[in-house]
Amino acid sequence: MSRMLRRLGEGVSNRALVALGLVFAALLLAPLVSNGYVLSVLIIALYYAYAGQAWNVMMGFCGQLSLGHSLYVGVAAYAAAIFFVKWNVPPVIGMFAAIAVAMAFGAVIGFLAFRFSVSGVYFALLTIAFAEFTRIGFDHFTWAGGSGGFFLKVEDRAADLITLRGPPIMFYYVMLALTALAFLFCRMLTQSRVGYYWFAIREDQEAAQALGINVFRYKMLAVIVSSGMTSLAGVFFAFYYNNLFPEQIFSMARSIELILGPIIGGLGTLFGPILGAFVLTVLADLVTEVLVFTGYDIPGVKQVFYGLCLAVVVIWLPLGIWPPLKRRLGLEGRS
Amino acid sequence: MSSKSRDQKSAGAGLVDRRSALAGIAAGTAAAVAPFNIVKAQAKVLKIGVILPRSGVQAFFGQSCAKGAEIAEEVLRQVGYDQKFEILNADFESNVDVARSRAERLINDGAHVLVGPFDSGAAMAIAQVTEQKRVPFVCNIAAVPQLTEQGYKFVFRIFPTSVDLVRNGLLGFKDVFAATGKTPQTAVFMHINDTFGQANKAAIDKLFPAANMPFKILDTIAYDPAARDLSVEVAKAKATNADLLMVVSRLNDAILLVREMVKQRWEPMGIMSPGSPGMYEAQFFQTLGKYSDYAVSVVPWYNPTTKLSALVGSAFNKKFPKDSLVGNIFNVGFTFESIMVAVDAFKRAGTTDPVALADAIRQTDLANRLMIGGPIKFDAKGQNMNVGSAVLQNFNQRPSVVFPKEAAEAAPVFPVPGWSQRA
Repeated sequence: MSRMLRRLGEGVSNRALVALGLVFAALLLAPLVSNGYVLSVLIIALYYAYAGQAWNVMMGFCGQLSLGHSLYVGVAAYAAAIFFVKWNVPPVIGMFAAIAVAMAFGAVIGFLAFRFSVSGVYFALLTIAFAEFTRIGFDHFTWAGGSGGFFLKVEDRAADLITLRGPPIMFYYVMLALTALAFLFCRMLTQSRVGYYWFAIREDQEAAQALGINVFRYKMLAVIVSSGMTSLAGVFFAFYYNNLFPEQIFSMARSIELILGPIIGGLGTLFGPILGAFVLTVLADLVTEVLVFTGYDIPGVKQVFYGLCLAVVVIWLPLGIWPPLKRRLGLEGRS
Repeated sequence: MSSKSRDQKSAGAGLVDRRSALAGIAAGTAAAVAPFNIVKAQAKVLKIGVILPRSGVQAFFGQSCAKGAEIAEEVLRQVGYDQKFEILNADFESNVDVARSRAERLINDGAHVLVGPFDSGAAMAIAQVTEQKRVPFVCNIAAVPQLTEQGYKFVFRIFPTSVDLVRNGLLGFKDVFAATGKTPQTAVFMHINDTFGQANKAAIDKLFPAANMPFKILDTIAYDPAARDLSVEVAKAKATNADLLMVVSRLNDAILLVREMVKQRWEPMGIMSPGSPGMYEAQFFQTLGKYSDYAVSVVPWYNPTTKLSALVGSAFNKKFPKDSLVGNIFNVGFTFESIMVAVDAFKRAGTTDPVALADAIRQTDLANRLMIGGPIKFDAKGQNMNVGSAVLQNFNQRPSVVFPKEAAEAAPVFPVPGWSQRA
């Protein structure tokens, strides 16, 4: 355990550790000074931070571009919700089924792609295709509500972590815990042999193979880990919103929303997905608020803000916001 | 009312200097994080939070609904409501996640009642917030039955459920057949396979066997909402040789469907919808021209012969001179009526206390309506019990009411002329 902790902190400056602690403490205390609205925005930000972190494993670490991650969110959301509604299995148990289903989907996609050397843009198209036909499948899956939607009974009760029924503050802390755990898990992965293999595959697959790395196995592992992590975002989604519609949860737009955070924050970095999600969600809402306050009520300004962020990052900050910010703040690791 | 209309905002528009911008950021941040900024119940101005998809894929419909909110002050004053109310606008960007946080935002800003949102998923998300905060929510448009089946105490819907829509739709079909003396023996049912289409299909499956309809359904054909081509589906429908095409559509697919029917020269006795949008909308007429004529839609609609509709028409034309009321009436009508329900409850309750307002909304009995139907009254679940539908048939590229008789503008035509016989 102590060895693991030591490895987690390896190469991290004291200043970075303090900064990380402060950020975590601020997030821990945020509900004390937040109203319902701010809390709901923070929950969305954490949701995207977590899901972005999960996607980052596949793209940021291993270089496999998935544009259909809404698939894993969707199937896991449906799995956990169906277990709960149809058979009274609480999500604390149902989430294992959700993880298994999402991983199975990930494994099938990965196997088909990597076994038949589908890569790059074609791999991205394959992930979109899977998300799309799963959406169409669920549209016709009347046992799960079809395109008419699947609904969880909304209950007004005290926080219950077993059944994930409770007030928004409970969901906030659940999401915060998931984001923190995902951050630590990803840190652990990047410090492990698996992580180094992934980086090698990302940088040059042929060279990695020539060095003896089993590329197929480690790419499969990346897809399975990423889909398993993403599935928990789906479980959260189902129990927080209490209604699932295939056209919303499996949509291409949702997949894009999930990946914007890591792209803007910094692909392949640990803090990038979190920073990106907060920039997009919290700052975008703040921009809307400021504009409304100054007398400009412009519908769609948030989407324009997203576009501008993406343009700025693509043109001037190709590595994302986090790497240069980290340098500026003097948080770079010890060599 | 001190409604923050778009005009007022643009009047104050101009370049913002750095100091103003910083002040704005500070104030925006402060406003956003101010804990539990709930206006006291004794307030004399009713704050109505209108939450709509004013951007994103549903922007067209959200902005159309918003017009109903913008004319509400002028019209309501003319019909005797002198209560002060303020509209707080929120855009949920056609995104369910955002709908929830925007509802929270409106309540934090002091909204005493919420109105919206033209989307079933968003309505379900908003209802959870309003129920938790105990703030009344008057749903303008959303047909998902579950909204009023969750046991909510603060949710009210003036829009019909899909079951009511279809029930009225099938009755409207019979009116047309009886009036024209021509009855189809068979039909093929085509529907969009989305939330709305699926709910309508379920309602048809449930109601059709007991409705004693004169025709039988030979086949049911579902198509994807994202479909860009319906040639296969239309060919399949044509192959059934059905007398009637019964359709549950939205706008784009309704256009695709008719185009394909013209292309394949399929001329059934008529195209009839038992309660879906698409075939009475401005874009349908603009795109299809003469081929848009004679399609029948049985939908909730306004009664063009009442005094209230004349007032709404006049206010609408004044405020939006370049727009057409008929092209927006479905969205404008239900949004306007939702606001009328809120203001009427405020008038009777004499307070903005949300619980008292919810009680007053529950006792609503509004006979002076814009839309066709009996007085607005809510059942124990919060569902409006008196939602009527009009039978619309397109003539000269505009929808005309053919039933009910008291609101009729034209007589129905059935069977309809073939594609080549249209002027």
